[in-house]
Amino acid sequence: MAAAALARATRVDLWHHGAVPMLLVPMDDDQQNHLKAYGLTYNTLKAGGKGEWLLNYKGGSFLLPDLPEVRRRAALAGVTVAPIADADLEAARGEIASSNMDSIVLEKAPTIAVYSPPKSPPWDDAVTLALNYAEIPFTNVWDEQVIAGDLTKYDWVHLFHEDFTGQFNKLYINSRGAPWFMEQVVRDQDAAKRLGFPTVPALKKGVAEQVRAFVQRGGFLFAMCGATETLDLALAGHDVDIDGPFSDGTPMDPNADAKMDWSRALAFQNAHLETSPLVNAMSDIDGHQANVPSRKQPLGAFTLFSFAAKFDPVASMLVQNHRTVIPDFYGVTTSFTKATLKSANVVLANEEGAPWVKYIHGDSGKGSWTFLGGHDPEDPQHAIGNPATDLSLHPNSPGYRLILNNVLFPAAKKKPLKT
Amino acid sequence: MVLGVARWCLRQCDLGGRRVSGAVLFAILGARLSAQDPSPLSAGYDAEQRGDWPEAAAQYRKALHAGGNTAASVLGLERVFSELNHTDSLLPVLDTVIAQRPKDALFRSVQLRALRMLGRQDDERIAFEHWVRDAPKDPTPYRDYARALLEEGRPQSADSVLDRAQRALGSGREFLVETAQLRATMGLWDASARAWRTVVDSAADLSASSAYALRPTPSASRDKVRAIFLAPPVTLGARRALATVELAWGAANDGWMALSSLRPDSAAIAAWDEFGDAAAAQGDWRTARDAFAAVANASRVQPPALARLAIRAGDAALRAGDAPAALAFTDRALATGIDSGTAARVALPLKIRALAALGRASDADAALRAYAKFADDSARARLARDVAWGYVRSGDIARARTAVAAAGLGDDRELAGWLALYAGDLGAARTALRQADAPTTDLVTALALLARTRADTAAVVGHAFVDLARNDTTAAATQFVAASDVVRDAAPLLLATAARLHTARREDAQAIPLWKRVVEQYADAPEAPEADLEWGRALARGHDVQGALSRWEHLILTYPSSALVPQARREIEAARGSATS
Repeated sequence: MAAAALARATRVDLWHHGAVPMLLVPMDDDQQNHLKAYGLTYNTLKAGGKGEWLLNYKGGSFLLPDLPEVRRRAALAGVTVAPIADADLEAARGEIASSNMDSIVLEKAPTIAVYSPPKSPPWDDAVTLALNYAEIPFTNVWDEQVIAGDLTKYDWVHLFHEDFTGQFNKLYINSRGAPWFMEQVVRDQDAAKRLGFPTVPALKKGVAEQVRAFVQRGGFLFAMCGATETLDLALAGHDVDIDGPFSDGTPMDPNADAKMDWSRALAFQNAHLETSPLVNAMSDIDGHQANVPSRKQPLGAFTLFSFAAKFDPVASMLVQNHRTVIPDFYGVTTSFTKATLKSANVVLANEEGAPWVKYIHGDSGKGSWTFLGGHDPEDPQHAIGNPATDLSLHPNSPGYRLILNNVLFPAAKKKPLKT
Repeated sequence: MVLGVARWCLRQCDLGGRRVSGAVLFAILGARLSAQDPSPLSAGYDAEQRGDWPEAAAQYRKALHAGGNTAASVLGLERVFSELNHTDSLLPVLDTVIAQRPKDALFRSVQLRALRMLGRQDDERIAFEHWVRDAPKDPTPYRDYARALLEEGRPQSADSVLDRAQRALGSGREFLVETAQLRATMGLWDASARAWRTVVDSAADLSASSAYALRPTPSASRDKVRAIFLAPPVTLGARRALATVELAWGAANDGWMALSSLRPDSAAIAAWDEFGDAAAAQGDWRTARDAFAAVANASRVQPPALARLAIRAGDAALRAGDAPAALAFTDRALATGIDSGTAARVALPLKIRALAALGRASDADAALRAYAKFADDSARARLARDVAWGYVRSGDIARARTAVAAAGLGDDRELAGWLALYAGDLGAARTALRQADAPTTDLVTALALLARTRADTAAVVGHAFVDLARNDTTAAATQFVAASDVVRDAAPLLLATAARLHTARREDAQAIPLWKRVVEQYADAPEAPEADLEWGRALARGHDVQGALSRWEHLILTYPSSALVPQARREIEAARGSATS
């Protein structure tokens, strides 16, 4: 009932011209709960309303219709909102017009899928946590659905912490006897057999191809941690045996490195594969190599780049934040070495002076992808078996905001993108 | 200072895994103390004692060159260089000593420590490799290096070292403790528990170490840990380890359940005794009562000791609110032929308190009279107060007043205040209780009521508090509800008090109508947000999640500035989580 009322009110185009009073959702330090503010905005769109994303204005604020249902949801979620008078809104628009700011119309709540195993392994997934906390609905998909072509049903897909090379993140090195690991191996081997693939690496490469096709058709892809690096390794190594004997029973092709076809990859090129099955790394794409003691690099902090909002709205949307410097966090893949980046990539955040970057974006076909290194922005040393992060303790997390920027980015009304 | 040095040595050597070496050092120091010889080693100790580190270093170097006790000299240099922040100066010394005695584990351990302290991880690894090369069948290098890696927060490297040790030495049994610690560090809780189980089955004295390692086990993994330690055969080490870790997890009763199934031999009884003390120290008196009772029941000790055990169990029972058990244990203690001193000092006061708590005030009064001659004034006054409370619990306020007067407790303002309140004299109670200094739950409730109402008399309020003092919460709740019709200016508080009593007893069916009345009839009262929150919780317990959500949402939207809003949001999050799982 309330949602229908909201829809009726906001479908009237007049609101954009000041006929409907607006609520400002500040996203600077005035905001009590940044993460739930994204959920409020998403659910307003989902209920048929429209909104605006005021890039670089008060930390990337939102404008939503001032309706009882929106206020109610904001109050329940603890999201700070403030009615904005016409005169103040005009003043804000003037400021936006004359500064490095822009207003992006948000018109459609994207449909979301999270590629996530049916039974969660002993680590959490930051995106799932963020979506759940922000009350943004999503659908879990796994190998069966992806191979069946179900990704076409969604606008935005997130890749859970998955190894698309099919080497189980090389966790056999340290966790070979752990029941959850053995269960994972059996589950993936069963799935490969059931779906007609000879091995788990072949299955995961098949999934990677579907993901690539999703992007090419115009989908928005967001990946974190090991999914970033291994997706590209699987794509570039589509016709190469890049897996150790644990996964497919045969050693890696000794010339695998030379046979990689990087033109098929989304983000990376000229990377070198880790040839030892006993070294817990996939390639030299990751700058931090957190699971290789002799190579492990310490954590620093990364800086979000500032983009021209009127000319680079996409990149601007992806870096909206109330902080520009964010403490780094480890993952299976923590960062991306500059030497392995394709030149067309847009670097969204880097660590000053370091040979790696943290956050990248690019287009492929009709769609786009965004990769964020690391596992959990609020658990920098995240280890297997650690309890899931309780986001109610981090409602203002700048790292989690980056994830949620990605969720709302496909909601933006299409306009010529300069990036 | 010398003893301090010795302790330091013991600690250092324990870190290296050899308490024996620590004991040797004590012997060395002991010999030095007795002989008082003026050797360089002795001069080094003296300089160290004075804090003259350069002189101490010079003397230890001299001692080293002179031969004699190389170990003590090297350890002295390690301490002194550490104080001087010159640990790197120790390395050439160690190179020389190790070249002379390549298989001596002590110097190798010192070398690993020094390199670790200097942050030279690569050199530490090389030193370990050399040690393995020189002593290929010795498990010590693997163990020391694995421990060092664990301390450095490098569990995966430690895992590799232990794996290699197992292959080199053909058995992992030498490294079970390290493996268990390693798995815990890596968050592999059930693997760690399995390794610890093997360790403690044969070395019960390591149960405390296992409990310490498994203490951070997340809630979701605890049942697996429990199953591993509870699996047959029942061993003292496994049960003691689990009991200790259960205590740390705040599940003392589960710990006791694990421990209580041991066959009651002397080792098990000692473990029960120790566990009872630990539970008591945590304030878990119910569990402490059970443990002490088991000790008292199982012990075949002579009467004086048995009496002490029974008194301890009785005391724990009384603190746990189990007055009948307290009385039974006290009677048992008194029946053992306990000496008159202990009886007068400990057993009789306990018995009087137990009788009073049971509301058997006349019996308590009689016991107090018999005991009075053995007690000093303050003990007598304390017990007279207990007796007066006993009369209150039996509902006999007049006798309570008499007991107070007879014991000369007229100046006790708090007691006078309570008696006034029980009599329904709110005015007198308001004046007297304001000065009370023991913030019990009942006192807080009483003060809140007295501050809220302007009424000076209300018999029904007195009845409610008498019922509360008698631990008859059902009757008290009924009286508080009745009082809400009489003391109208405090009606929401009285209704909320009644609802809290029902909620504490999980009587949600009785509590919900009361919370509802507060929310609907007294929406502006300070109790209204609490009523919304608790009403929602009661509905949630009854599996009415939608109803609960609507209450919490009502709270957030109606009382946005209430301090309970964050709790309501948490409840909503939790309810949604459970609804989707």
